[in-house]
Amino acid sequence: MRSFSLSCMILILFAAVVQAEPGARPSNPTAWHPPLAVDAETLKILEEVNSLNAYQVPNLPLKTDENYAHTSRDLEPFRHVTPYKRHFLEQMEYYGAGRTIPEPEDVKTVKIGFIGPIEPTVSVATGGKSHNEELLGKKMLQGCVLAIEEANAQGGYLRRNIPFELVVSNDNGLWGSSGNEIIKQAYKDNVWAILGTIDGANSHIAIRVALKAEVPMMNSGDMDPTFIETNIPWVFRCVGDDRQMNYLLADYLFRKLKMKRVGIIRASNRYGRFGVREIRDSARRLGYPIPIEMAYQLGQTDFSLHLDRIQAANVDAVVHWGNADDGARILNQMRARGMNQPFFVCDRCVSREFVEIAGKNADGVIGCYPWNPDRKDPKLDAFRERFRKRFENDEKFGKDAEVETYSAHAYDGMNMLIWAIQVAGLNRAKIRDVLAYRTQPWPGVTGDIIFSAAMDDIGEVYLAKYENGRWRYYSREDLAIPRGPQRPPGDRGELIASPQNP
Amino acid sequence: MISILRIAGIATGIFTVVLVCFPVRAAESPTPAAPPQSPPPAAAADDELPYVYTHWKHFTTADGLPNDHIFAIKADGPRVWVGTEDGLACYDKTTGKFRVWKEKDGLPWRAVTGIDVDKKTGDVWLALFGGGLARFSGGRFDHFHQLNSGLVNDVVYGVAVENDNVWAATTAGASRYNVKTRQWTIFTEKNAPMEEIWNYGVSYDQGKVYLAVWGSGCLEYDVAVANSGKGDPWKAYLDPDGEMEIDLYRDDGIIHVIVTGASHVEDALWISTYFGTCRYDGRHWRGFYAKETGLPSDFTNNLKARSSNECYFAHDKGLGVVADFRTDTYVAYTRDPNTLRGKARIYRSGRLLKEVDMERSVPHNFQIAVEVDGNDIWAGTGKGLGWGIGKGYYPGVKANPDWLHEKHIAVVSRQERK
Repeated sequence: MRSFSLSCMILILFAAVVQAEPGARPSNPTAWHPPLAVDAETLKILEEVNSLNAYQVPNLPLKTDENYAHTSRDLEPFRHVTPYKRHFLEQMEYYGAGRTIPEPEDVKTVKIGFIGPIEPTVSVATGGKSHNEELLGKKMLQGCVLAIEEANAQGGYLRRNIPFELVVSNDNGLWGSSGNEIIKQAYKDNVWAILGTIDGANSHIAIRVALKAEVPMMNSGDMDPTFIETNIPWVFRCVGDDRQMNYLLADYLFRKLKMKRVGIIRASNRYGRFGVREIRDSARRLGYPIPIEMAYQLGQTDFSLHLDRIQAANVDAVVHWGNADDGARILNQMRARGMNQPFFVCDRCVSREFVEIAGKNADGVIGCYPWNPDRKDPKLDAFRERFRKRFENDEKFGKDAEVETYSAHAYDGMNMLIWAIQVAGLNRAKIRDVLAYRTQPWPGVTGDIIFSAAMDDIGEVYLAKYENGRWRYYSREDLAIPRGPQRPPGDRGELIASPQNP
Repeated sequence: MISILRIAGIATGIFTVVLVCFPVRAAESPTPAAPPQSPPPAAAADDELPYVYTHWKHFTTADGLPNDHIFAIKADGPRVWVGTEDGLACYDKTTGKFRVWKEKDGLPWRAVTGIDVDKKTGDVWLALFGGGLARFSGGRFDHFHQLNSGLVNDVVYGVAVENDNVWAATTAGASRYNVKTRQWTIFTEKNAPMEEIWNYGVSYDQGKVYLAVWGSGCLEYDVAVANSGKGDPWKAYLDPDGEMEIDLYRDDGIIHVIVTGASHVEDALWISTYFGTCRYDGRHWRGFYAKETGLPSDFTNNLKARSSNECYFAHDKGLGVVADFRTDTYVAYTRDPNTLRGKARIYRSGRLLKEVDMERSVPHNFQIAVEVDGNDIWAGTGKGLGWGIGKGYYPGVKANPDWLHEKHIAVVSRQERK
């Protein structure tokens, strides 16, 4: 329930060009003309959404996908039966009346909401006492703070020359209070968009509120595949999810390494439960069902019971899905009892904390990762440098100036929201529109962010291997990981009848 | 409440022990058998048509509504209660006037997402979106929230009166308040078959409470079984294929587990989801997809059944009606966004029979709430409230009905369109 507001306002009110995109060109001076350079496609979107009455919807193409989430045919559920209907292949549209709500005159700051776990808490949703999620939440907040401060340094909200303000709420999962926080942000703080959160259960609660209150919601830290599988036209996710990472890992384990018996140990919370679902399903669909899956309680430190059973199952490898400290302790206890199987982990374990606890045992560990931090990109290098300068002496963030997944994706997600607000103006539906109809990848510091028809980032994901004292990142191509057969173009593979109407 | 929490705690402990000591089985999931075929629709001639609402009134803030964004409607005799994004309204059908309550008038919170009326007392119960639960009685609002009651969460999507109990569907479980004993009971994953606890709607009919749960299908609670203390009062209706991205068979169960509403009337349970709608008669399921029925959309915010044969669906692209289940006949009400005139399209088995042009139908295509009021219907939309006046209403289908000859409408048949 506790929340607080953090004003991140730097009032340097000089005219500036804000994050102009490559190839952008100035547009015609009209009432809705954005105060920054935008590309032709964005201009067309703006022209369309600003020409509508309250009953019309944009006549703009919706995204369509041939198959959901790049799922190969042999990993599709019940692949031997053609399903009656496939979902998520066509982008959801917003058909409400929100586009004609005029921009308010009396705003002094442009508020953007942040919801994330930034304080320790007790959470039903996360499986009891919060378990270091606040470390991830604080990194997410850092990315957002930097994005807001940079936008303000470049003139703030350029249509009015007023600053952006970050309205920060702690994601206390207890009794679903994340829903209350989103209500507060939507109706009391009157935010124009929200970024958050990390926990899958709390994210679901938040997006249900966002749908009814009609506020755009960007997610940069919840890898739960079901988050986006809800058909909500107000939701975006700018980070690769566990489904994408599961597919890559499954292809590596079963198609590349030809493993046959892979055991799973995971946290007994939503993150662990949903995190391994596609590995489990993929293994079964490829003919190598997971012989054992063990769930552990958050906070326990002795995993001998679980490891006894996994050891008895005679597995070729072990996959862990949970927090970094748990993963490292499990690995140490495995090695201590002579279990030398390859150890595979989720992205949360691809971290300094994991290596510090695991020590030498970390050598050779392979983890999934939603982006490639080793990528040679001046944009990323410059971001790292700015991030370091901003936080290296900031006591509030523990002088932690390291860029990692949560900070970098939050920075990208917040910048997408800021860009959308600058371009669309203060109207939640139009802010949604410029993001939803955008077909060009967003050139983020984490790489190109490409939205699927389900508004999910379907850009490339990676495997990280700890070797020679550091994590190194490998693409599917780097490791020559085979991919399963894809559905042929135009084949939606569903039975639903076509209408017989004119 | 304390005893329930204690039981829940013990249950959690047992669950923990089981989880820690035993592996989670990686069960194979064989392809479910194809469901039994639903009986084929009864034959009907093309001139046998369902009732079409051709007389509509629209209401907006200009007519006295507190807000045009309508979240909930409840018909109560001569009154119609309307929950909006910013205030509660009551329309008096005899005077044609609205009374309005906003926060300054004592309404505990601005957004009213659900309404039910206790027939015994006349008390009006309000689901407040982020504000808990309120009872409007004797001109006074009583406010129940997380900090002063057993309400499990303040984000309340729906409310239903069941005998002496008031059920609240919240984003973190369901709460039940007994108005006589003033006891609260909380239902979550600990004491109900909720795979997810995100309750979205609640309704009551014939001794059973129906919870629409986002991510957990529809849950039926048998009051008599619960009161007897013998047997499990819960029954869960789920999508048998268990997958989010497909519907393996249309008629094997609920279309999708993200359920937004459930309405049980006579012997049929009607269900709305964001992926389509469906009906269960106790033996057969039948799914309805827009593409093959003519319903405006699959994205369905809410529903209200009039009978086991007729149900109204609040879609994002219009008001959809299974007008005569028996003959597989549908009506889709929309508003032309350019001319702002109303349209009703009549379909049978996916085939367009007639298109009715009229001065007005629904106020906006984005439907959020719907209510059946005797022969009339009410449509709550993203921009205004609509009242469909059921002059000459008849159930089922009828050859050459009276409405077809009304002068203020234009009817185009399928052949004429060609």
